[in-house]
Amino acid sequence: MTNLLEICDLVTEFETDEGLVRAVDEVSFEVKPGCTLGLVGESGCGKSVTALSIMQLLPNPAGKIVSGKIFFQGLELTQLPIQEMENLRGNEIGMVFQEPMTALNPVQTIGRQLTEVLYLHTDHNETSAIQAALAMLEKVGIPSPEIRMSEYPHQLSGGMRQRALIAIALVCNPTLLIADEPTTALDVTIQAQILDLIENLQQQLGMAVLMITHDLGVIAETCQDVVVMYAGKVVEKGSVFDVFDHPTHPYTRGLLKSIPRLDSRAKSKLDAIDGMVPGLLDLPPGCRFQNRCPHKTPECESTSPSIETVSPGHQVSCLNWKDL
Amino acid sequence: MNNPLLTVNNLKLHFPVKSGLFHRTRLYNRAVDGVNLQVQSGETLGLVGESGCGKTSLGRCIARLYNPTSGEIHFDGQEISHLTAKAMLPIRQDIQMIFQDPMESLNARHTVGDILEEPLIIHKTGNQASRRQRVRSLLDIVGLPTRSISRYPFEFSGGQRQRIGIARAIAMNPKLIICDEPVSALDVSIQSQILNLLIELQQEFGLSYLFIAHDLAVVKHVSDRIAIMYLGKIIEEGPSDLIYAQAMHPYTESLINAIPIPDPHRKPERAIISGDVPSPINPPTGCRFHPRCPKQFGPCGGTEPATRMLPGQHQVSCHLTELQDAS
Repeated sequence: MTNLLEICDLVTEFETDEGLVRAVDEVSFEVKPGCTLGLVGESGCGKSVTALSIMQLLPNPAGKIVSGKIFFQGLELTQLPIQEMENLRGNEIGMVFQEPMTALNPVQTIGRQLTEVLYLHTDHNETSAIQAALAMLEKVGIPSPEIRMSEYPHQLSGGMRQRALIAIALVCNPTLLIADEPTTALDVTIQAQILDLIENLQQQLGMAVLMITHDLGVIAETCQDVVVMYAGKVVEKGSVFDVFDHPTHPYTRGLLKSIPRLDSRAKSKLDAIDGMVPGLLDLPPGCRFQNRCPHKTPECESTSPSIETVSPGHQVSCLNWKDL
Repeated sequence: MNNPLLTVNNLKLHFPVKSGLFHRTRLYNRAVDGVNLQVQSGETLGLVGESGCGKTSLGRCIARLYNPTSGEIHFDGQEISHLTAKAMLPIRQDIQMIFQDPMESLNARHTVGDILEEPLIIHKTGNQASRRQRVRSLLDIVGLPTRSISRYPFEFSGGQRQRIGIARAIAMNPKLIICDEPVSALDVSIQSQILNLLIELQQEFGLSYLFIAHDLAVVKHVSDRIAIMYLGKIIEEGPSDLIYAQAMHPYTESLINAIPIPDPHRKPERAIISGDVPSPINPPTGCRFHPRCPKQFGPCGGTEPATRMLPGQHQVSCHLTELQDAS
């Protein structure tokens, strides 16, 4: 099966007052058509910057793709003229952001924001665009869409806003949906509704989803494959079964052990990962996880681990994975 | 059972909603609407609910950061719900708070030393030398280096800032700490460090916690008992294991079902409840959950369910349990 999206050795850097920050460092992964890939990591690990790099929405001029390639349906996105990228964005690739209140335009009605996408990418006239927009709002489960069309974002609840945002992202039937923490700002019962909605729409429309989240539970429930990132690097990737059943990188293991579970004994000590993520400005040479790793060897301080294959489809970036 | 440290009886907190030309109060936001709860000495009561359910307002009301509209708060044998600020001052030593966002709750222009010393000064404890000594030992207790004393909050990471907030809360050796979403702003790997610290401190100093959070897995991990709040009311309360094993209220059940489980083999057959939390300004009649409840029947829309005691210190307010009792 050919890949829908292929990212090869992507490097994205930011110019800051303190110096050059390499937010994404040689990241590679693939998204298969119709499948869901999870990108998981803590804040600052580069998962959102990866998404913005794909969409060519990096803050300009601070952020820049320095090297690497992004193939989407055979097109190399980093070299694409702006005009062609604009044709893809919102059309073939849709994106849902974390905070729907800031992603939606507060002074335009939901209907106007939804039909804008249609006018831009399709040859709908006004009546048919409104029809399509209404159908989409209905599909994402917004009650009485006719009324909602003429309302402003602040009149909607958090869950409804996120549904409206999903409707905007999906109205042109994209083949890829990038969902950047789509449920982080929502309550659990609303989160369940939204995750369910994305899954249903995915089955109806046959699109692929790149799900970016920090919540391993969300990954386990929605994704087939997962990429774990730490301080700008991919540390482990594979199918969810590979990664959750046989976590190989010490960071992945630590993460899985440190989350409180419903069946854990109350007030027992959690296996926390000591220390904290190093700043991207003063990264240690060698492995980036070394200062928190319980299995650190002298070699980790000098040698950067490369990606090695654990089993077909399951890869890890650790010097000592065989001995763990 | 001996006297509980904290008893809250029929506590109400209604915020006036002003509107119109003359800014008159026409409506009330019933953020907390008749809450009863108890916290025993040395235990953790987890308070769970979705945003807007009134859990933060309830916590702040108990700490008397908000003045309750009516009801009673008994703390350590004293009724404190209507004490004046002056009479409240000595009691404030014993009730402390940890807030969600340590960046917002720490004064950005004070050094960590100043922040931690301030409660000691306010409560006129010791002289300058002994206070500085106490600050150093507080930093040590929460696992921060002594040199932090002359640094400012922005120089720390989120997890470290939360440690400063915890150090400030324990500075006066309080009896009760109200933790309002203490870990929800933190990353997963840091969250577990802070939870471990809170559990250790409780065991070491015999603290009682009112632990407010929306993440049930976190609450389950730290709590002895759990209370579930919905639209200003507590709808179910009991020992944490019992709440998970035998949730009686349909809302509790759906909250538990909605948690994503980090295990790809357990694809959930979720019963997702539809709709949003209604506004506390104009809550539904009868049972407040009935418009979203998958199991609603005859009486739910009309009469408010009474709180029923079930075996094992388990309380629930739901018409379904009454029905089961009758049959």
